[in-house]
Amino acid sequence: MQALMAFENAPPFAAPLRFFLTAPAFAVLAGLLVAFEGPDIFASRWTPGALAATHLLTVGFMMQAMLGALIQILPVVAGANLQHPLRVAKVVHLGLSLGALLLAIGLYRVDPPLLVGAALLLGLTVSFFLLATLKALIGVPSTSPTIRGLKLALLGLAGVVGIGVVMALALAYGWAVPLPALADLHAGWGLGGWAGVLLAAMAYVVVPMFQLTPGYPARPSWWFPVAMLAMLLLWSVALAAEWSWLVRLSQLVAAIAGIAFAGLTLRLQAKRRRARADATYRYWQLGLSASIFALFLLSTVAFWPAAAEIDGWTLFFGITLVVGGFLPFISGMLYKIVPFLAWLHLQNCGQAKVPAPAMNKILPDADAQRQLLASAAALGLLLAAVLFPDWLARPAGLLLAVANGWLGWNLWCAVRRYGRYRADIAQKLAAQ
Amino acid sequence: MTHPKTPHVVDARYMEPPGPFVATMEMLDTLKDGEKMLLLLFREPHPLYKVLRQNGHDYEVELQADGTFEILISR
Repeated sequence: MQALMAFENAPPFAAPLRFFLTAPAFAVLAGLLVAFEGPDIFASRWTPGALAATHLLTVGFMMQAMLGALIQILPVVAGANLQHPLRVAKVVHLGLSLGALLLAIGLYRVDPPLLVGAALLLGLTVSFFLLATLKALIGVPSTSPTIRGLKLALLGLAGVVGIGVVMALALAYGWAVPLPALADLHAGWGLGGWAGVLLAAMAYVVVPMFQLTPGYPARPSWWFPVAMLAMLLLWSVALAAEWSWLVRLSQLVAAIAGIAFAGLTLRLQAKRRRARADATYRYWQLGLSASIFALFLLSTVAFWPAAAEIDGWTLFFGITLVVGGFLPFISGMLYKIVPFLAWLHLQNCGQAKVPAPAMNKILPDADAQRQLLASAAALGLLLAAVLFPDWLARPAGLLLAVANGWLGWNLWCAVRRYGRYRADIAQKLAAQ
Repeated sequence: MTHPKTPHVVDARYMEPPGPFVATMEMLDTLKDGEKMLLLLFREPHPLYKVLRQNGHDYEVELQADGTFEILISR
């Protein structure tokens, strides 16, 4: 009975679920775009196709899943309750989905009105989300590294979206801004300050909780988000002052901080008490290994700036960090969060009279493990396609689409099973 | 398991949810007035905090260097 009392903190299942089910569709679109464009998309990170595919993955998939997870998890990890979570979720989901589509099409067609529309829509949507979450977080003290990390990640979100809006408007109106350097900074705020810090703040809770590892030591946990944000602020100042050495130094320290976090997580996972390696664990292993490799590539540029000019270097780095790092982290978490939430809601439906089915019956791990193999193969093909685009660009894009379509299908099947179990529980309760 | 702060300890650091919540509520039911219990976790259990406040329990939280949150709960 007491377990049910904690349930009142949970937002409705429909609030985060709409984000989790939509996110894979954007990765499918990214894969199809790569397949459609073929080898040309690998010519440079600046091709319209590459820019569109990147934002389908980072805004359409990553930000989608991350905002959905935040709506769900704020009350649980920070005791911060959003007012009207379902209403917030509906507005943010619609604005983000439309904004991501507009942005991708605007970048692909180099269409100024679409770029302006996307910038305004995404800017307003994220501002609305930030206001809603800040309102919930006002008065919540930073009593844990997770809460401090969450707050700093929201600062990172404001940073990446703010720079992104300026860049989209600069592209649309032809403003004289240093676009390549701003693009690097935009990526740094997005992948380091927003995604990286949020990932760490969530990992402090979910890695020990779901993978039964030791906890993250307190001192580095407090300092990682601060170090990452400090380096991004330093990078921003250095860019404004045109101190390229300080840009490289701040990138290096941010990369080292990321490698340290990923290495620490791998070490904790090695001490886990859960013998079975489930899909979430394997996805995280893939994500951590790929992130360490990608951040090592980034560190190399600090000592050897000419490396970034090598053909394909930046694309290789970006694919490794986004498709090899962040997508696996998020996919792995979706495979844990969706069945867990379904189980939690079924447990509540059963009113302690009818037990909920095991999580593995809602989303079998074997299904997730098979899909994981497709994701890993897609990553391998995409990286190989940087070197051999004529041969591999289209198969790599298709496999990325298939792998993420499969992820969406697995999640959708879990939701259908949830619906069936819920009806079954209601029937059993009525018969009692 | 005992602890310098109290002999009544729930070490839930390697328990999956909702194990820590259930174990804590069960131990609280066995405590006498004035007794305290200690919950050890690698995270802050905010949903549990809310229930504790609703039921009139006081609690103090201390984060240890190894990442353990020590939550001392009064009956």
